Amino acid sequence: MKRTFLRLGVLSSVAAACLLSGLIIAPARSSERPLYGGVLRVEIRERVNSMDPRGWNPDAADADATERLLELVFERLVRMNDAGQPQPGLAVSWQHDANFTRWQFQIRAGVKFHDETVLSSDTVVAALQAEDAARWNASAAGAAVVIEFKTARPNLLVELATGRSFIFRAADDTVVGTGAFRITDWQARKRLELKANDDDWAGRPFVDRIEIGLGVSSQQQAVDLESGKVDVIELLPSLTRRASQVSGARVSASAPSELWALLINPRGSALYDSHFTQALSLAIDRAAIVNVLLQRQGEPAGSLLPQWLSGYAFLFPAEANVADAKKIRAEFSASPLQALVYDGADPSAALIAQRIAVNARDAGINLSVSAETVASGGANDADVRLVRWRISAPDAREALKTSIARLNGAQAEAAFLPLETPEQRYAAERAVLDRGRIIPVAFVPEIYAVGPAVKDWMQHRWGGWRLEDVWLEQKPRAATAAGAAGSGTGNN
Amino acid sequence: MSFRVKLALVFTLTIVVAVALVAWGVSTYTQREFERIDQRHTKALTEQFTQEYAQRGEEVVRRVTGIKESQATTSMAIDLTGPRADASRYVFEADGLAKSNQLDFLDFAGDDGSVISSKEWQAHFGYKTDWVTAGGHDWNQQGAFLNRTELPDGVALSLTAVRVVSVNEKNLYIVGGVQLDKEFLKTLVLPEGMRALLYKNLQPGFDPAMLTDVNGSVAQADRIAPLVERVQKQGAGAELTVQWNNDPASAENFHAIPLLGRGNQLLAVLLVGSSRAELVTLVSFIRQLGVIVGGAGILLGVFMSVWFSARITRPLAKLARGAREVAAGDWAVRVDARSRDEVGQLARDFNEMTRQLAEQRDRLVQAERVAAWREIARRLAHELKNPLFPLQLTLENLQRARQQTPALFDEIFKESTWTLRAELDNLKMIVTKFSDFSKMPAPQLQHTNLNDAVRNAVRVYDAQFNVIGRPPVTPELYLDENMPMIQADPDLLHRALSNLVLNSLDAMPSGGVLTVRTGRGDGIVGVEISDTGAGLTPEECERLFTPYYTTKRMGTGLGLAIVQSVVSDHFGKISVESAPGHGATFRIELPVRPPGASNNFDAGRTAGTDTIPRDEAELVKEKRRTESVGTKSTLGLGE
Repeated sequence: MKRTFLRLGVLSSVAAACLLSGLIIAPARSSERPLYGGVLRVEIRERVNSMDPRGWNPDAADADATERLLELVFERLVRMNDAGQPQPGLAVSWQHDANFTRWQFQIRAGVKFHDETVLSSDTVVAALQAEDAARWNASAAGAAVVIEFKTARPNLLVELATGRSFIFRAADDTVVGTGAFRITDWQARKRLELKANDDDWAGRPFVDRIEIGLGVSSQQQAVDLESGKVDVIELLPSLTRRASQVSGARVSASAPSELWALLINPRGSALYDSHFTQALSLAIDRAAIVNVLLQRQGEPAGSLLPQWLSGYAFLFPAEANVADAKKIRAEFSASPLQALVYDGADPSAALIAQRIAVNARDAGINLSVSAETVASGGANDADVRLVRWRISAPDAREALKTSIARLNGAQAEAAFLPLETPEQRYAAERAVLDRGRIIPVAFVPEIYAVGPAVKDWMQHRWGGWRLEDVWLEQKPRAATAAGAAGSGTGNN
Repeated sequence: MSFRVKLALVFTLTIVVAVALVAWGVSTYTQREFERIDQRHTKALTEQFTQEYAQRGEEVVRRVTGIKESQATTSMAIDLTGPRADASRYVFEADGLAKSNQLDFLDFAGDDGSVISSKEWQAHFGYKTDWVTAGGHDWNQQGAFLNRTELPDGVALSLTAVRVVSVNEKNLYIVGGVQLDKEFLKTLVLPEGMRALLYKNLQPGFDPAMLTDVNGSVAQADRIAPLVERVQKQGAGAELTVQWNNDPASAENFHAIPLLGRGNQLLAVLLVGSSRAELVTLVSFIRQLGVIVGGAGILLGVFMSVWFSARITRPLAKLARGAREVAAGDWAVRVDARSRDEVGQLARDFNEMTRQLAEQRDRLVQAERVAAWREIARRLAHELKNPLFPLQLTLENLQRARQQTPALFDEIFKESTWTLRAELDNLKMIVTKFSDFSKMPAPQLQHTNLNDAVRNAVRVYDAQFNVIGRPPVTPELYLDENMPMIQADPDLLHRALSNLVLNSLDAMPSGGVLTVRTGRGDGIVGVEISDTGAGLTPEECERLFTPYYTTKRMGTGLGLAIVQSVVSDHFGKISVESAPGHGATFRIELPVRPPGASNNFDAGRTAGTDTIPRDEAELVKEKRRTESVGTKSTLGLGE
């Protein structure tokens, strides 16, 4: 069923593209059918430290990249579709009581771990309990798993579809999953090699193997894409034009799934005043940042959640108003905000931070810009810090809750905020922004440059890969990668 | 200080001054030469910098022109003139082009001067660079210039060129440059001991952080501040010497060269430093060498000075010694006169002089001896003639009485016999006195009290002071009771003093006062005998001590001669002071301890038997000297 849907999707996408562009696509290409085989090569900037779901920390710096890789090897009971609706994963069905305190999940039959062990309800319970025993009370009931709570958990499906809810089997020192790919070589922080899981319950992936290079710089990724050494790279906005000039390559972007924002640290200055934060917010020319620095890959942000997720983001203004910023600035004799730091490991951060500093200077706010590195341990006492947050959950409630919880001292508040309805979420977001601890700057998507040999490349709306659906065109790749034949490209 | 020492000192001083002058001269010349070389290096470096600066400017122009003429820039310029121009597409364009063209800075600015893309400050897009569009520059014809380039974290100096691409009357400005920093300084080839610093004059006053060398920041940059501030104030080059620490070798000469930007604005100062360590080391070496060579030279000079001065003064010393011997009476002395120079001539003249003096002395002695014999003959004739005449008369009277008055002959015979006897006694006395004078004994020195000698001499004539029928003479003695004992012959002393007292009595036939005083001085004692007689004329005073000279009718002229002889034998002096009508005063000065007296004087004083050997007394007797000044006559020993 999945393959059918995929084929229909691909064909409809190609047809739509032809119609929109007015191009006449050769019948031979439109009739191309997915091919099995080949090695998909991917490079990312992040240096992932571990492929063990038990040690995955959603708050770690490499959390997003790690989750992306873990999702290739491990699965959850529930999945989310692009509309944010729960879909069956390792659980084929579920039901709950009226109070949302008792949930029962029917485990998919015939699923095998990569070590050929059959997935059972006991294994699922063990994985859930290992993930966080205090979080829930899970028990096996035949082929079903029962999870009970003392209080209502209406959003349990979202919780099970995100975060650390991976189902795995730990044996000896190894941890195995049920995902579309199994690990064949793992070199922490350097390289991950995966092999297609022939026994995948959703069907074997098209590609035979995936080689993922870790810790590769953006510039090197671009070079490698141009030379045909890799098929998929992460793309910086500054490199989109360059990547688009590579013959046959295309740029793929998700919906805005990351938030660039300034976190204000009131501990950094005794003169802190939320009113002053407003001056800084008004001084920032977000449109210029998005259009120029981010090469239109994103949208100005005046809120914590993007419009596609919240539906009310347009209510938060994101336009610059230097005149008003100057007026507010004039109310202060001295600037309580003087130092702006950014993540030195993020290649986009420096430019955005510098642009913000330039804008701030127009309003009379002089910010000294500096990078913080892992080696420096982070400047916790910095006045302003430019951060990039991933909005991982396709669910607006969970996404907002996570965002608020990330603010200093707001974890408890986030746990009890009523965020069920859009109105409640808007009110909560407004209150948080008025507090002046955070200045949203821009929403940006996950951007990838995909080589010409890669077919049916798709991302989740909120980011993330669907590599099990990707297949590789062999002829063009052979021609393109002729120079890189020595690297062992092994298309079947 | 002897002539030899003076000569040696003069020679030594001359050598020292000469060595010092040479050392100073060499040191000064070296320093001047070093300064000249330093200036030459600085000038060469300045020219090199200017050349490098110009070449670098040409290179910048070439690179920026290359970017201007590149396909990418042309495409950009055309694209930006379109109705849907999107400048944001080119925001990262400058970075790649700058790197490929080895430019540190590269900006693309639109027709209104707005930054489209900036390599050095990518976040600066959209902001205007008014100076590019202002002033109607024909940028395509202009060369590179020094420029302030704004960076996110400050301002940098750059060698900048601007080129313009015009499409449909719309300009695209390309502003490219290379940074003027330590990397630029590294390209300068500097001689050893020299270095170049660059001060970026981006703000008023001196900021140490703006000073850089090839390694980055400069330690103790504040020490350069006066030089930079002088250039800032004057706008012209200047110099400064900085000693970085207590070691003089750490000193460094800095030459400042102002670097001007557009509008002659002082944007930077190039500082060419030249270490003085080499000079200091060289001067130190010269000084050490000077000290060693100078010391050796001075030592050699001193040795040579002593040797030369000794060689030069040796004949003079011989001359001086000869002169002293002549002065001591040895007129036969001769000095070596072998050299042919002035000193040899002087020696020959000295020898001739002593020869002539000896001859004159011999002649004088001979003449004096003849004169003395004549005087003796005259005196003897005179003395003998006086008693001989009565003898002749008495004998003739006896002859006549026998012939004419035989009755009275016996009585006349008796009287004549008495007369003859008296005159014969007189003749005998005369002969005795002459005999005594010729037999003056050498003094037998012993402890003697001068006061006692005076009292004894006066006491001899007590009876004659108040002779009946003659006006009295009153003796008055003023004797110093603290007189020391002297070494003298008491008999001779008594004889001399008695003669003087008698002489005074004879000088006062009408009575008067005889005053005798004794006194003492430094190593001498004196006795003064004065009378109130008729006094003496100056001529008489001069001849008073000449033997056989007398002013008395019956005198022999030997009394004062004997006194003078005694005084001389005691190494003393005698003088007379007199004026007619005012009496006469004789003064005798005697040494307490005459030369040649026994060293055990103290023992002799207690024993009272100390004597001077006769031979010694005879030797010193030869050294007497006669002195006469005005009415004051002095007789005594020369030495």
